[in-house]
This record gives sequence, structure tokens and C-alpha cells, in this order.
Amino acid sequence: MAIHEKSLIDPDRIMTHESLVVDGVDVSGHWNTMVAPRFLGDYDDDFNRIIRQYPGGENVHRCWQCGSCTNSCTMYAQNTDFNPRYWIYLTNLGLKSEILKDKDIIWTCVSCNKCTNICPKDVRPEGVMKALAHWLEDEGHTPKTRSSIFDEEFTGQVLDHGRIEDAHVLLNFLRKTQQSYFQDWLIETVKRLMRHLPVRMLIVLGWNFVFTPKTHSWGRTGDVLREYVREQKEAAHARMKEAAHV
Amino acid sequence: MQNTVLVVGGGPAGLSACAGVIGAGRNVVLVEKEDRLGGAPILSGYAKLVPSGEWAKDAIGRMVKHVEDSPAAKVYKSTRVVSLDGGPGNFTATLSNGEKVSAGSVVLTTGFTHFDSINKPEWGFGTFEDVMTTTQMEQMVASGKIACPSDGRVPERVCILLCVGSRDRQIGREWCSKICCTVSTNLAMEIKEISPQTDVFIYYMDIRTFGLYEDKFYWKSQEEFKTKFVKARIAEVTRAPDGKRLLVKGEDTLVKRPIVIPFDIVVHAIGMDPNLENTEIARVFGIGLEKHGFIDRAEHYTNTCGTTRRGIYVAGAALGPETIDDSISQGQAAASRAVADLYALVQKTA
Repeated sequence: MAIHEKSLIDPDRIMTHESLVVDGVDVSGHWNTMVAPRFLGDYDDDFNRIIRQYPGGENVHRCWQCGSCTNSCTMYAQNTDFNPRYWIYLTNLGLKSEILKDKDIIWTCVSCNKCTNICPKDVRPEGVMKALAHWLEDEGHTPKTRSSIFDEEFTGQVLDHGRIEDAHVLLNFLRKTQQSYFQDWLIETVKRLMRHLPVRMLIVLGWNFVFTPKTHSWGRTGDVLREYVREQKEAAHARMKEAAHV
Repeated sequence: MQNTVLVVGGGPAGLSACAGVIGAGRNVVLVEKEDRLGGAPILSGYAKLVPSGEWAKDAIGRMVKHVEDSPAAKVYKSTRVVSLDGGPGNFTATLSNGEKVSAGSVVLTTGFTHFDSINKPEWGFGTFEDVMTTTQMEQMVASGKIACPSDGRVPERVCILLCVGSRDRQIGREWCSKICCTVSTNLAMEIKEISPQTDVFIYYMDIRTFGLYEDKFYWKSQEEFKTKFVKARIAEVTRAPDGKRLLVKGEDTLVKRPIVIPFDIVVHAIGMDPNLENTEIARVFGIGLEKHGFIDRAEHYTNTCGTTRRGIYVAGAALGPETIDDSISQGQAAASRAVADLYALVQKTA
């Protein structure tokens, strides 16, 4: 490394440029390395209002930083970077950029709820973890979780056909999550179905797999439901935006 | 035989001491150096009092009226005690107007002095118009409109800095002023009530809303009024590059990072200093001061309102930082001691 002091600085604060012109002077090359300042320059006042709109985040502003949640946390025992107390503080002050640094571990909360049981201010930290994870996903900071992908596949089939086709749910889920169709447990399941299921049932299964029939008189029900869900989501989003600007 | 108690200082403790003496059927002489009674809550224009929520001018006004209307009370305003002769049962005070007052016992309720923020210049008071003290913010609340003194705009953000003039060895204030946390959380709620679009931040080292003030003030301001509490002792207040806002610099000790945050108004939660004139008061009355400069107690448990000189009692913030409620209780306690002296001396002579 050309400038060894760089090793003393958080990597995310070092800014290097292929080419750079400052005040009309070309400083391309080695000497255009800039270091972002270490201080926190502002709070995002809307952030805690937004998190309070998510289910589970309603009480986040009550926290007084006693640390009981982190102390009791199952995940903290595994990984001391998992610090609910800290994230709640960042949420309340609106230090979003600091939260984003931990975006890849916030979702690992196992919802044991020890924090919620011990919290003296009824903050419900487990709910806050959920709210944060959902916000991260909604804003595209984290990829969709497998459970979200599964939910979407499942709901989509229900809306399209009024029913689900197990094999389609499974296979589409595996495909969308980039997993192999040839899971040992799945192969074994299919083998046993072939061996033990009456032939008539197998034919029905096969028929449904190929033709995916709709529930009787399903009609436009799915479209209506889809429209209703969309409206509800939009309304919730509008509420959230409004709350953030009050 | 002496039938009179001399009370020096007409704030909550003094008014309460007067009421105690009057209630016991004795006479009281009240000497107040300012031109009106009521003490700090009236002279400094406090808004709503903790914990009653009643306006200071109403609550303290009632106390003033009770004393001023009583035929047993003689009130001197704009007057000081310049000397005190005699002893227990037979004091003679000379007043600044030349009159002499005879009294069997004396109650000092000489109060405190607000910390002068000019002594912490790094926090911008006196430099920037939009830096003010809790007392000034109380006056703004009492006026019913929250606005930046510099240009009248409604502040988006107000911060209150705790421990200004308290818990600071650098300026010789090694005490906690006791009431500022509660006053500040109360003020945060009042600001939000008048100006809902204003966000209020409190920069703290510890939050000491003791006793029943915990949920009624600290919790309520956080949970219902969304006051934000930031653990940082501010290093300095400077002007933001826009020339309007103020930058509050410090270290957020929970994030372990320096912070430079823009605010529209910065409020100093000023502490309670010993009365500036305490050395003079100690000389005139021949009493001792404790190490911080407040009036010293005789003995903690059997004579809790006593000074180091027999026959002279003390109550309220003259003893150290004190709440209005406790000052009033102490005023009553000191009055009972002062009146007891009159009775005891009667028995002795009988």
C-alpha cells in the first residue's frame, strides 16, 4: 500500500478515484485519496417515525439504553456484533448509515423474545429487530429473504388458481432461491409416494401437476383480492410517509 | 418577651416559613431585597411548575397573597438586613432603610443564584442569539410562542444541554443541581406542546429525574412527546456554515463517534449556584458556609434547619440545590423550629 496510514482508517471512509480534478487541478493518480470525516453530521429525524410504523417497531422510542436486551440476547452470545440495544439507539436518533453497516446480521434474530421479557420499558426489542429487517428488505438494502420468496410463490398460486399445487410451490421456490431440484429429502419423498400411493391418486397428482386446474368458480376472485392487497399496501405506505412528515 | 420571627428572603421557602409562623399565631417580619415577593419563580418568570403543572405566577402568587394579606406579617421590600445583634430570644436586626427589627429567632431563606452561562463560553451563550438558558426558554414558553430569537423562525430542532454549571470540576461546581433534569424534560414537553413540528433533543451524562418525577416527566417526555435523549457531553457550540443554524459538537459516547449536529436553538439547563451574596450573608448573620458555598447546617438529624449559630434557621435552596416543593416543606419546618424557640424561651422565663 502506497500510503500506510490508510490501514488506520475504516475502509469505508477511504475514497479513491481513478481520475479527479479539484479546483481545476488534475490530481489523478496516487495522490487523490480522500478520507471521509469520522464525525456524524446529522440525524434523520424521520427514521424512527418510519420504523414505528412497522409492526413490532411501535415502542422503539421508549428505549433508555439500559442494555438488558443485549445482555439477554441469544444471538449476542454467538456474535457480539449483534447488539439490539445499539441498533435501537441508532434507530431513535436516525443514524441510518450506521444501521446499514449491520444490515447483514440484523435479520438473524431468532425471536426467542428474552429481550422482550426482560425490557423494563416495554420497548419489545424483538419486534424492533423484525421491523428493521422488514425495512431493510423493503428499501432493497438486503435481498429478499427465503421466507418472503416462499410467501410470494404461495400467495401467487392461491390468487391465480384459488389453490396451490404443492409440487409447483416447492419447485418454484427451489428455482427462485437457486437451490437444486435434486434434494435428497425430495427424491426420497417422491420415491415413497410412487411406492405407496394408490394409482388413482398418482394419476390425479400428475393431472394437477400438468394442468393446474383452478378452484371451482374461482373466476375473478384472485384479481379482486390482488387489487385489495395492493390498495392496502399503498395505504400503509402513504400512512408511513405521512407519519414521517408530521 | 419576643413574639416575632424574622424571615429573610421572600421566595417559596420564605413565604412558607412566614405562613408557618402566622399559622402558629405569632408575628413575622419578612425582609426581601427585591421590589416584589415570590423569589426565583416570579423574578425569573418560570412557566409551569414541576410537578403540579400550575403556572408559577398563580401558585406562588397565592403564597404571596396569603402573607401580604396577613395582619401578623410585616413585609419590607427592596430592603436588606445590614447587621444582626443580640442572641436567641432577643435578636435585633438593622435594616438598610435604617429601621430596627426585634425578633426572637431568625429564618434565612436567602435562596440561590442561577448559574451564569457566560462562564462556559464554549457553549455559545452570549455569542449566539439562539443559545439561551432554561430560564429564558421558560419565559418563551410562558409567552406562548417558540421562535429563534435571531430571526423569529420556528425551530425545527431544539437541544437542551444538561449539567451546565453542575458536575463540573473545571469551574468548581462539584454538585448536581438536582432539578435541571426534571425541569428540562418538562420543558421539552412544553416546547412540543406549543410547537409540534419541533423535535427536542436532550444531551445528558445521566438522567436524574428522582422519585416520582421518573414516569411523570422523564418517561412521559420520551414516550408521549418523543423527546430524544443523547448520551453526550457537548464540547462546543459553533455557527453552521449556513450562517443561521448552530452546530453542536461532542462525542456520542454510545456510538463512540464525534458528532457535529445542526440545531436551531440550544438551551442550557443551568444549575443552582450558592447565592452570590452568601459570603456577605454569612458575615452579617455570623453563620458558617459549607464547602461549596451554601449555608452550613448545624446538625443533620436533630436540628436539620439549624445554621451553625443558635437561634438562626435556614430553609430551601440556601442549603443547596432544592426543588420548590421541598423548599416549601423546609420553610414550614424552619418556622416550627423558630416558633418553638419563642415558646421555649417563654417557658424558661416563666
